[in-house]
Amino acid sequence: MTMRTQTVRHRRRPRTPYLLITPAVAILALSMGYPLVWQLVTSTQRFGLAQQFGKAPESVGLGNYVTLFTDSYLWTVVARSIAFCLVNAGVTVLIGVLLALLMKAIGTVPRLILQVSMLLAWSMPVVAAMTVWRWLFDWNRGVVNWVLTWGGLDFIGHNWLQAPLSFFFVATTVIVWMSVPFVALSVYAGLTQVPDDVLEAAQIDGANGWQRFWGIVVPMVRPVLMIVLLLQIIWDLRVFAQIKLLQDAGSTPSETNLLGTYIFQLGTGSQDFGMASAVSVFVLVLTIALSWFYVRTLLKEDA
Amino acid sequence: MSDLAPARPGSAGATRSAPPVRTALPVRPATRPDGTAAGRGTAPAARRRPVRRAGRALLSLAAIVVSLLWLFPVYWMVSSSLLPNVLLQSTRPTFVPVDGSLDNYRAVLTGSGFPGALRMSLAVTLLTVLVVLMFAFLAALAISRFRFRGRKSFVLAVLLVQMLPAEGLFIAQYKLIGSLNLLNSVLGVTIIYVGAVVPFTVWMLRGFVAGVPIELEEAAMVDGLSRTQAFLRITFPLLAPGLVASGVYAFLQAWNEFTVALVILQSDGAKTLPIWLRSFLQASASRETDWGQVMASSTLIAVPVIIFFLVVQGRMTSGLMSGAVKG
Amino acid sequence: MTILRSAAVGAALALTLGACSSGTTSSETPAGESSAPESASITLWLAGGDTPDALREYLTTEFENENPGSTLVIEQQDWGDLVTKLTTALPDANNTPDVVELGNTQSPTFTNVGAFLDISDMYDELGGDKLLPSFVEAGAVDGANYTLPYYFGSRYMFYRADVWAEAGVSVPTTLAEFNEAVVTIAEANPRDIANFSGFFLGGQDWRNAISWIFANGGDLATKVDGQWVSTLSDPSSIEGLTQLQEIWAKASNAPADAKDQSPWLYINDTDSATNEDSSTTDTSLAAATIMAPGWAHWSIGDLEVVDDKPVRTWNDETFGTFVLPGVDGGAAPVFAGGSNIGISATSQHPELATSLMRIVFSPEYQQMLGENGLGPANSDYMSSLGDDQFATALIESASNSQLTPAAPGWAAVEGSGLLEEFFSKVSQGGDITALAAEYDEKITPLLNGVG
Repeated sequence: MTMRTQTVRHRRRPRTPYLLITPAVAILALSMGYPLVWQLVTSTQRFGLAQQFGKAPESVGLGNYVTLFTDSYLWTVVARSIAFCLVNAGVTVLIGVLLALLMKAIGTVPRLILQVSMLLAWSMPVVAAMTVWRWLFDWNRGVVNWVLTWGGLDFIGHNWLQAPLSFFFVATTVIVWMSVPFVALSVYAGLTQVPDDVLEAAQIDGANGWQRFWGIVVPMVRPVLMIVLLLQIIWDLRVFAQIKLLQDAGSTPSETNLLGTYIFQLGTGSQDFGMASAVSVFVLVLTIALSWFYVRTLLKEDA
Repeated sequence: MSDLAPARPGSAGATRSAPPVRTALPVRPATRPDGTAAGRGTAPAARRRPVRRAGRALLSLAAIVVSLLWLFPVYWMVSSSLLPNVLLQSTRPTFVPVDGSLDNYRAVLTGSGFPGALRMSLAVTLLTVLVVLMFAFLAALAISRFRFRGRKSFVLAVLLVQMLPAEGLFIAQYKLIGSLNLLNSVLGVTIIYVGAVVPFTVWMLRGFVAGVPIELEEAAMVDGLSRTQAFLRITFPLLAPGLVASGVYAFLQAWNEFTVALVILQSDGAKTLPIWLRSFLQASASRETDWGQVMASSTLIAVPVIIFFLVVQGRMTSGLMSGAVKG
Repeated sequence: MTILRSAAVGAALALTLGACSSGTTSSETPAGESSAPESASITLWLAGGDTPDALREYLTTEFENENPGSTLVIEQQDWGDLVTKLTTALPDANNTPDVVELGNTQSPTFTNVGAFLDISDMYDELGGDKLLPSFVEAGAVDGANYTLPYYFGSRYMFYRADVWAEAGVSVPTTLAEFNEAVVTIAEANPRDIANFSGFFLGGQDWRNAISWIFANGGDLATKVDGQWVSTLSDPSSIEGLTQLQEIWAKASNAPADAKDQSPWLYINDTDSATNEDSSTTDTSLAAATIMAPGWAHWSIGDLEVVDDKPVRTWNDETFGTFVLPGVDGGAAPVFAGGSNIGISATSQHPELATSLMRIVFSPEYQQMLGENGLGPANSDYMSSLGDDQFATALIESASNSQLTPAAPGWAAVEGSGLLEEFFSKVSQGGDITALAAEYDEKITPLLNGVG
């Protein structure tokens, strides 16, 4: 506490802000700096298991990148990942906003029920959540097939994971289920900051619900929406665990690989750490490019 | 397979479980950071007009249906944890575990390592939360209250560092922690977690700090408080929701993470709960997985998270009450 | 860096969480102690929970008796994470486990990069040519021995004796008879079950499927002029693949993306569902035959309640076992599961590690492995497995079993998922010759390892 108040007191001095960011910078440099540099260096080397066991790595310059960019498979995965990311981020934010509006529109009791449900879903360990979802969609003993069959449809033995589109439908269901609580609760928190009197005044002035929503509510929750959307895009572009665990259950990996599982397959799977690093660096650049618009807007608003 | 958002794309569920931005903890979203109750959950427009009961009832019904959809997997986890493995393999689902028992819980608790893993997980998680909050708070203070050279680069670095995919990082992380001689230690894994969580929390807290007008503090000083007192009494309480939200985020990340833990914490005595859970998933190549036990372990891991939610909710209320300043 | 480090450490200390106590590195020992091996602690990594507790205790006690003052720490690593952990820990002299168990198909990759100590000098002492030859080969490079077999398992067939009888077929004696029998059963489908398989073989289940390639004299890869080459296009391999495709088309209704996980689910009767006409159907039964490692018999049987708990009880009237027959009768060469064991090249205590290896390969320990249903590495102790039908089937199927190629890049091939894809495409009726050529081209570059 002492430290903090002192820094505030001396805040006109130019040294203070640097002192304040030192711990964060230090921990970032320590825990992210070395891995980042390692990844950059490794991406220019021929680096397999033998190199990990002490053989001197041979530099190949941009060789890995050349191999990568001339491989049409990379572009397939990139296109698939971007499409998957946009669909998932979009659906998640849409449902999240709708649920936030719903929370605002209903009484305390149903709202609390909804919020607690979201919270419980949110606190479920990932591995457990994925296991349950795999069971629900299992071809032989899954509840989904059972219920659909019970409802008169022929879903006995239907294999949800085999066809890539159907696989991604399941993946989207799971990811939306996992991500919506965060979005809905954040946006709802943002909505509660919209002052009631402003809305009421607008209503008196004759604005209808739709106009009030776009004219007042949306601009006021815009900062929250921006951040939420940015995070969803970052996370959905790099989604790994859900896809990997679903691939373990079924599907043909080369047809369902996204960038995260592709890196994993190259590195941990095939011990080609040079190529895996090259893809990682590429994904970093790609993420920055994709989110650049948002990052710039955020930075401008921040200034 | 991993859960640290920034560094870990794998970041599965936990990554996706980032906390709300800018305002209070989701459990109590009806309270604004300025301490006034907002909305009360009623649509203001609806209050004014003749109440459209039917519409409201329909919406409430929709809310209940959505709740059930979101709860079902959780229910399925708990229900399965009460059933023996052979029933879980049935093609006919058991919707209500009437024949359930606590056998799975007994087995996993008396099995190996739960107390040790719980202790390890608590240590790693609490240390991560405390360090993250401290570091992120200071940095947020710097970027929202000061203009300095390099500020923009710092903000940008904080944003971008979250975008590095982590699937290929495990060798570097092992070498890093190994060279610090911190393998199999709480500190070693915490260093990685803090680095992974700090960027997002800096970003989040920045908004909260910026949201408290410096004039509030200055006004209090005019009233005779020292700057320290002004900060402690006026500004700090207003940051409570932000600190709680960031804390929840850091907590979930550290609690659920397991790809880093897998590499850094290899010895038996240093396992965290997610690694302990994994040992039930892949117990043996010569025995089948006991899914009932997996679900019991999963439920046990979720319980502290729920407790944590309840605890911070209470803390936050009191913090808000004592520090409420009518904005 | 020093400043950064102390900042982090300082912050942690300031928070006074005495949590670091649980984080001791068991294999860590002061430098220079390697010259005094009689007073050190060494670490043994066992993969999965396959080694029973009694055997672990025996190893610890025996090791400490033979090396007074030294201790043995046994740590269990999960199968799924083993490659990641070996990749990071084995090259790290400060943290490496001293003795390591790893999967037999993972062994070539790690021995080829020099992860293990050359133990050729003790090969004869530890059992010599009594040790399973295919496993020994998986741990050898250029004639030198690095890892040796730890235990083996083998795959054989479990079948529904009742359903086979209802379909009017008897246990086959040649591979052709088997291939025909399972088609007959599937077509007869005596109990009229939806999606019924005469033989349940997942489309991505290459570990079981390769038996057909092996049985027809084919292999997955071979060494030509010092370089490994994928041999899916070899005429013998094609012959096996053609038979497989027939099975997939006519006998198996398993999903094209199913792997070899828990196939026993499909030959058990789990429960019965009442149909509209109030007849009942055994809903779980989906296959008349499966191929699985021997230990699957613990999960196969009638559903009975013992001590208030539902359990599986083997019933000879319903279930049976046989060994997959070869082309000319006898046992077909099936894929041998199991693991190898070796000493880390960076171990600080090679002498103590050697002492532990001697205990593992001692007659007492080999005997104990067999008594616990794990195939002992040394064939002299095969009889310890017992003589029930499971032990007999295990020994018989293992007698002719075969391993995946001992190529340096084999782990990379497995990790790439190419085999799953290839077999899955064959199972869906793809053109075998074209697919084999395509995947040969993809697999060959991986076989010789990166770098």
